Amino acid sequence: MGRIALEGITKNFGNVEVIHGIDLEIGEGELVVFVGPSGCGKSTLLRLIAGLDQPTTGSIRIDGKDVTRVSAADRGLAMVFQSYALYPHMTVRQNLSFGLENTRMPKPEIASRIDEAGRMLEIGDLMERRPTQLSGGQRQRVAIGRAIVRNPSAFLLDEPLSNLDAELRGTMRAELARLHERLGTTMIYVTHDQVEAMTLADRIVVLRKGIVEQVDTPLGLYNRPQNLFVAGFIGAPNMNFFRSRASAGAAELPGGLKIPAPCDGEITIGIRPQDLKLAGDDAPALEGEIRLIEALGAETVIHADAVDGTPLVTVLSGQPILGTGQRIRLTFDGLPHLFGADGKRLNQD
Amino acid sequence: MAGLGETLGRAATWPFTLMARAVDPPLRVWQRWTGTGGMAAVFLAPNLAIFGVFVLIPLVLNFVYSMTGGTGILLDQRPFIGMEQYGRLLECEDYTRRITCREDQFWTAVTNTAGFVIFQVTLMVVVSLITALILNRNIRGRGFFRAVFFFPVLLSPVVVGLIWRWILQREGLLNLIAVNLGLEPEIWLNDRFYAFAATIGVSTWAHMGFYTLILLAGLQAIPRDLYEAAEMDATPPSRVFRRITLPLLGPNFAVVLVLALIRSVQIFDEVYVLTGGGPGTSTLYLTQYIYEVGFASILRNPGLAAAASILMGAVLVVLTLLQLWLSRRAEGRRAR
Repeated sequence: MGRIALEGITKNFGNVEVIHGIDLEIGEGELVVFVGPSGCGKSTLLRLIAGLDQPTTGSIRIDGKDVTRVSAADRGLAMVFQSYALYPHMTVRQNLSFGLENTRMPKPEIASRIDEAGRMLEIGDLMERRPTQLSGGQRQRVAIGRAIVRNPSAFLLDEPLSNLDAELRGTMRAELARLHERLGTTMIYVTHDQVEAMTLADRIVVLRKGIVEQVDTPLGLYNRPQNLFVAGFIGAPNMNFFRSRASAGAAELPGGLKIPAPCDGEITIGIRPQDLKLAGDDAPALEGEIRLIEALGAETVIHADAVDGTPLVTVLSGQPILGTGQRIRLTFDGLPHLFGADGKRLNQD
Repeated sequence: MAGLGETLGRAATWPFTLMARAVDPPLRVWQRWTGTGGMAAVFLAPNLAIFGVFVLIPLVLNFVYSMTGGTGILLDQRPFIGMEQYGRLLECEDYTRRITCREDQFWTAVTNTAGFVIFQVTLMVVVSLITALILNRNIRGRGFFRAVFFFPVLLSPVVVGLIWRWILQREGLLNLIAVNLGLEPEIWLNDRFYAFAATIGVSTWAHMGFYTLILLAGLQAIPRDLYEAAEMDATPPSRVFRRITLPLLGPNFAVVLVLALIRSVQIFDEVYVLTGGGPGTSTLYLTQYIYEVGFASILRNPGLAAAASILMGAVLVVLTLLQLWLSRRAEGRRAR
């Protein structure tokens, strides 16, 4: 239960196509996160799966059954909205039971499901309160509870933590992960927060301008981004990019440090800020001038300009004694990420 | 161009700037003496003066007039008679028979007004709600229809009355259509039932745009997410309407009910132009009765008219307070 397959999904609003032919398979019990910048189509895609919007072309299958033209009510899915969408004039109990009453479920069964959800989400003592009398975190739990009591084949969560403060977001993130582990139900989770995506997902779908840029595990995306967009989007601070010209199997970084390149021509070299470290005085290095130092205690983020003017960020462990305006020499272990002139990854190792 | 615009703007605001500069020093002195409370009084004073001259003083005068007798207009020509006018209005030998009342016209007007209020307010609320629900949907030409439904609100009540008299009179538009369709013409406004129904229909037509607008604003304030959550919950449309739309529209409903009720009790101008209170006294409503007793009849009695308007005002206050209490109680229950 809970296998979802999208085939050639497109969506037009008027003459504007916002989703451009998406194919995707989500396995049973998987937690898949849709991530991407604002306007990339992640919420639209979720609404298409939910049945709240209809795709222009393509098909949606749930457990092998074509549900493309099936109403939202009959897809067996439950959705948690960004705004929580709790009925403000109903108590928590009424909010939880409202959907079940529509199915003419016997009252004892409704009560038992609500009690179970209340225990699971620790909202049992809030049952007679109204949403206005709850904190953001409590509302969030009630919204999840409303989805749980329906016992759906998959949960759809549309930026469910975006209205919470940073501390509560961290707590709720961990709770969601535990909930997924406990229920074992398929979850599709939309967020623009890559930390949420990296920590929660079994697989991440990176979207941009209505197309899927890459689908992979969180570490797969981090270690092997398939194009410049994914490389720049995943990881914080963003990956450093240096344009270079490769010839005779090598390319040069600003400052003269040479790296091996698999082909000749224009390439982009990507190095994660965390992979850079201070170089010795005589060794060839990536050189730049420090513009800004952010001392975070356990680590220090250094913003610099490389000798060719390219912005450069590095995260050094500890509290190195450096000052703005000072020259910095950096090196790295292993191989950097290489991208061709078309933005696609060159080194597939 | 920007320079010219700036110069023109300065020229236009110059008188106000000058005025502000002139009143600034005395206001500063005043604020130093009286604090911010005194300043509030200064800014409220113009409105309070208008309210006092045009509402409060006439209200008090009306109450004083209601305790005077005679046909004179000026207060010094009118003898004080206490509560006699109220007694005259309310005195009946048998309250089940209007004819036994000393002022039977007053009771006719009260009964007619009560009937009018019950039917008109009900019709108004229902029609406004249906219209608002339709206009809230994503229909083609929605903006045009919103304007069309609001247009009658902009018409003067006299124009409304005249338009509908031309439609409903013996040689009016409706009969013209009826005759062309081979039907017998009807003298609509000479029939007690049709005339009463016409006053209800016409006043509803004239004012529903305003109430539709209030309800439409309420509908648009209900978050779309709630309907989508209900859709995911497989909620039938009728249950969505009963359990989500109606309860969340409650505050707007309260406003519509109070305003429609007050306006309905006060109905006068369009009905006066349309039927003149006839046929007979079948569409004689309270405000027309007050007008005729106070100003229009040969044996005018301003004291009696004032007493009737005080009674009408009291009923309105009671109805409004009742309505507000009910809606606050409902809101309080919702918030608990």
